[in-house]
Amino acid sequence: MLILSLSMGAFAQKYITKTGYIRFYSAGEIEKIEAINRQVNAAFDQSTGDLVFKVLMKSFVFEKALMQDHFNENYVESDKYPNATFAGKVVNMKDISFGKDGVYNITVQGKLTIKGVAKDVKQTGTFEVKDGKILGKAKFNILLSDYSISIPSAVSRNISNNVEITVDIVLDKVNN
Amino acid sequence: MKTWLKILIGLAVLGITAAVLVYVFVYNKPHPDYEKLEAAFSLSPQELYSAYTGNKVDSQKKYNGQLIELTGALNKIETADSLVIAVFVFNQGMFGDEGVRCTMLPKYNQVAQTLQPGGTIKIKGYCTGFNDTDVILEQCSLVK
Repeated sequence: MLILSLSMGAFAQKYITKTGYIRFYSAGEIEKIEAINRQVNAAFDQSTGDLVFKVLMKSFVFEKALMQDHFNENYVESDKYPNATFAGKVVNMKDISFGKDGVYNITVQGKLTIKGVAKDVKQTGTFEVKDGKILGKAKFNILLSDYSISIPSAVSRNISNNVEITVDIVLDKVNN
Repeated sequence: MKTWLKILIGLAVLGITAAVLVYVFVYNKPHPDYEKLEAAFSLSPQELYSAYTGNKVDSQKKYNGQLIELTGALNKIETADSLVIAVFVFNQGMFGDEGVRCTMLPKYNQVAQTLQPGGTIKIKGYCTGFNDTDVILEQCSLVK
């Protein structure tokens, strides 16, 4: 629906990727847990500032198979909630010169939905305009408890409730 | 040696052995070897894509998290950083080509890049789901 609603708009110029990178990093007291997803869909509409992400939860790869199993089965329940999504806007579009190569600070505001729980978020990042592409980067933290992901007390020292999310995407221009 | 001491040492050895076994086989268990495992389903890329686009909820229950073998005509090979992706295309949408995208295991990257569009291939991979544009298979291997 998010993508459909974006696609129904009149595009001056849109940019997409199907191989976006998202990293999840938890620095617990006992161990560090990292998972990487390199199959993230993202789309950006230059005319409106609309920015959407669609993330398949089962595409996150952990170093340890057991952690991946627990992530999918116990924490994000990926059979029940297969996707995480973000739908929002770059709110400072006037600060970006898409015709001029350079790195621009961006502020993104919208709804992040994980495990069926939608939360308003506002984060900063960068857009690098380079050779007709947009390289988007952001690093921010979320609280697992905000998304109904509870950590059993037995492993509370292994997994931090405060998780760092790193986003790295290369958006290619699509000509309509 | 006193009997109670023998029992204590025996229990300690048993405990340490159990802890090592749990660490090796449970905590540190390896990821499944998707290349060697037998596929749960064997169908064409078109059938898999049509299943998800026709009934997403049922297909998620049936195919998500399963090892799937596909036989069909390849449309293209894409590369992105270290990824090599075999793509079967069945539709056009806002994300361009839509269909089934199969990310190869690194050991197949080189051979996958020699595959010719239009040729029929048999490929096996772990299905992570449908993102409203494509069905995604990961850890893919070419089946002879």
